[in-house]
Amino acid sequence: MNDRSEEIRRVAKRLLAEGKADVVIGFRDSRLPLRATPHFARTPAEADQLVWGLGCTSNLAKYLLDREECVAVVAKGCDVRAIVATVKENQVNRDRVTIIGVPCAGVVSWQKLEAVLNGRDLTEAIQDGDTLVLRGREFEQRVAISDLLQDACRTCTVHEPVVCDVRIASSAPAGGRTDEFADIREFEALSPDERWEWFRREFSRCIRCYACRNACPACYCEQCFVDSTNPEWIGKGNDLTDTLIFHIVRAFHSAGRCVDCGACERACPMGIDLRRLTRKVQKDVKELFGADAGVDPDSPPALAVFRPDDPEDFTW
Amino acid sequence: MPQANPYVPLPVKVTDIVIETEDRTIKTFAMEFLGERFEYSCGQFAEVFVPGKGEAPFGMASSPMSDGLEFTVSKVGSVTSAMHDLEVGQQIGVRGPFGNGFPMTRLEGRNLVLIGGGFGFTTLRSLINYALHPRNRSRFDGLKVIYGARTPGMLLYKPELDAWGKQAGISLHLTIDRETPGWDKLVGFVPAVTERVAPDPDNAVAVVCGPPVMIKYTLPVLRKLGFSPDQVLLSLEMKMRCGIGQCGRCNIGNKYVCRDGPVFSLAELSSLPDEF
Amino acid sequence: MRKYARIERDALPSHLDAWIERYGVFAPMMRDGVRRFGVLSAGSDAQPGPWLTKVPVKEMFLPQTECLYRYRRGTNGGLEIETPQDPARLRLIFGVRPCDARALTLLDHVFRSTDRPDPYYCARRESTILVGIGCSEPRSVCFCTSVGGSPFGEEGLDVLLVETGGDYVAKALTLKGEALIAEMPEAAPEDTETLIAEARRHAEASMGDAVLTAGLKERLDSGFDAPLWDRIHEPCIGCGVCAFLCPTCHCFDLAHEADTRSVAGDAGRCVRGWDTCMFSLFTRQASGVNPRPSGKERMRQRLMHKFRYFVENYGEAACVGCGRCIANCPTACDIRETIARIDDAAEADSHAQET
Repeated sequence: MNDRSEEIRRVAKRLLAEGKADVVIGFRDSRLPLRATPHFARTPAEADQLVWGLGCTSNLAKYLLDREECVAVVAKGCDVRAIVATVKENQVNRDRVTIIGVPCAGVVSWQKLEAVLNGRDLTEAIQDGDTLVLRGREFEQRVAISDLLQDACRTCTVHEPVVCDVRIASSAPAGGRTDEFADIREFEALSPDERWEWFRREFSRCIRCYACRNACPACYCEQCFVDSTNPEWIGKGNDLTDTLIFHIVRAFHSAGRCVDCGACERACPMGIDLRRLTRKVQKDVKELFGADAGVDPDSPPALAVFRPDDPEDFTW
Repeated sequence: MPQANPYVPLPVKVTDIVIETEDRTIKTFAMEFLGERFEYSCGQFAEVFVPGKGEAPFGMASSPMSDGLEFTVSKVGSVTSAMHDLEVGQQIGVRGPFGNGFPMTRLEGRNLVLIGGGFGFTTLRSLINYALHPRNRSRFDGLKVIYGARTPGMLLYKPELDAWGKQAGISLHLTIDRETPGWDKLVGFVPAVTERVAPDPDNAVAVVCGPPVMIKYTLPVLRKLGFSPDQVLLSLEMKMRCGIGQCGRCNIGNKYVCRDGPVFSLAELSSLPDEF
Repeated sequence: MRKYARIERDALPSHLDAWIERYGVFAPMMRDGVRRFGVLSAGSDAQPGPWLTKVPVKEMFLPQTECLYRYRRGTNGGLEIETPQDPARLRLIFGVRPCDARALTLLDHVFRSTDRPDPYYCARRESTILVGIGCSEPRSVCFCTSVGGSPFGEEGLDVLLVETGGDYVAKALTLKGEALIAEMPEAAPEDTETLIAEARRHAEASMGDAVLTAGLKERLDSGFDAPLWDRIHEPCIGCGVCAFLCPTCHCFDLAHEADTRSVAGDAGRCVRGWDTCMFSLFTRQASGVNPRPSGKERMRQRLMHKFRYFVENYGEAACVGCGRCIANCPTACDIRETIARIDDAAEADSHAQET
């Protein structure tokens, strides 16, 4: 077990004992290598199961919505941005949340892992510096951790959480952001036919499981538009038109609100490149309104503010 | 015999439309099969298909002894609103019959105590007409009916209620919520009226159909009067879709309301999880 | 007709080619980065595996989206209904794992062996030949042996292929299967059965700790109100991954879609699509009342249905231990662990009652 896991357990037990939290939401090991599962610790014994590692992928901010309890949440930088964003939208009461911030250098994408394994069964994964040693019944393979990181982690600028109440000590890489929208620009340069072909191929495998929507802290509508029956905006099956409308509308609903945590992409069992849509919308919001969601606790959400000088050259 | 493809609606034609209530929110539609037909028993239901809108489940309001079908429809949503816009002569679809219906063998030779509230009276009307039919009447012993609506104008099947009130072989107790000029029958909610009427549990079976709140307060009255859980039958309402116990929506415990129900005895219901 | 045949590794493609000429042949393949069943156009393209496809073979019998009928208003206002034609050609699905095939026998309870059989599912079942491959290397998420199955299980298959030193032996399990292997070199029955039994024993022994399913039904019978249910659902985000990728889950929705190019009500179709009790709106009634209002009730329902209600109705649990729900859950929920916790809770309960 690593130092950070130990410190998280100490902090959790202290918060529970002091009555500052009814529940500490973090992660514990699952039976799968490199995958941790969200854990809800309410006692010292349960707090002793908390861990931190490359498999702590879920955005735990999701579990703050609709929760009456006083909560402490173990949050990496992207999770904290999501908490900031949902606090601003009055969905989370900041006073009832203790943020246990964990500086994070990135987490592993299980979809990339699946692709690397190509059908082989992983029984063990051991971290050796910058490398992961993957072991199965009849193979051992060394892979650079950077090759398995979530795409969102590669362009992350919040390795250090923007705000927290308790900080789990460790040094995190100073995220210097390279041109995070480089591939979006590449995509924009494609012809409409080429872009359509990409859409069609990428989203025809969507099985409408809504893992993306349900994993996203920004998706909290009591009734999602896809579930409306009167009017029935789109069909529930996997007709491509219906599927595309679902994803495009979801991307638009995230405008000014999405913090690019990548929870949607991490949740997708079919490995769909969902962030290409949301980041395109993010890029537009950034360019039009100069805003980045969930970074500054004091600034209002971008699309909730109306300024006289808002660009309107696209409206007339 | 049920149709070979349980998903495909059979074409039917609307032959008559009766506006049942003074506020015009409830209508009864009579229909005739245009091709393939199905037979049904009291307490079963069918899915009525309105092209362009969708389907909705309705208990059979007609008695199996009559030709054709009748459904009583309350205008509450998009399918029922579309039905209310139908005209005589228009064609729609029906698929069925679904559900277990009332357990006729358990009712034979017994005193029937039929308690209905509001819209829930529709399937009881089917059972009453069936029991009163000359070929069937001798199969049952007493027939006592307690039926309540909010106001006189909200009572369904008024001509039949008039006839039953004058008929031998059926003891009818009608009630409305509040005193109203011109109303000379009972006043009070169905549970209270049931207590007053005090049906005898001896060799009796009670069938209770109505809104959840009515059922909730009627059941203790029946218990107090001495009805055992085996002697009380209810018709459950659950969200349904396929009607044949395959889509999973109406699954409670190991039962499917659309297939093993919607009629359950109180004894059967108490062994199911409280998820209805 | 013979029951056993031998297939040299190099001969497999040509057998597949022969099948491709007679049937529509499907096999596991990478389709847009996901391993699923797809049309096999040449025997040499087949990669026998055995592969655990992302989506189980159930999608070949209960497609995610399926048109049940189209309707049209005729000139006299009549309602005309048209159902899809039955498949004209037989299908052969190659490379099915025993768990997926066994799952079809469980789905048969619901859709086939009932007084209201589903004509669409039944037509596909009757027109499909299933050729399976035994799992010589069960994965760490597999637990088929804990739920009445086996990596070399034969239920639901027409032919079982067993790999042996690079070649295969084939065991025909049905008349369809015997017809299929009729042209192949014969294999000695006793030797083949011994070989299969040995492979089966070896594979089963290599599987990890058994999942505690013995007595699970009884624990669920008495545990409907156990406090455990308040905790088990917590990580679950209520999506449809587990149900949709499960070989035995089969809940669906019906939608009636009007053809927008026609005047309202003039034409349209009825579509069946996958649905799941895990979705929050599955049981919500028009009035807004929902008998299963939170994740707690819904996860309990899923487990109860699989390991208690289905058992009450059909004598078998609705789980084949394929492990897809475990491997694909966005929050790594693990049904094996859930079952173990149910067992722990029941034990703790009985100890408390004893003391």
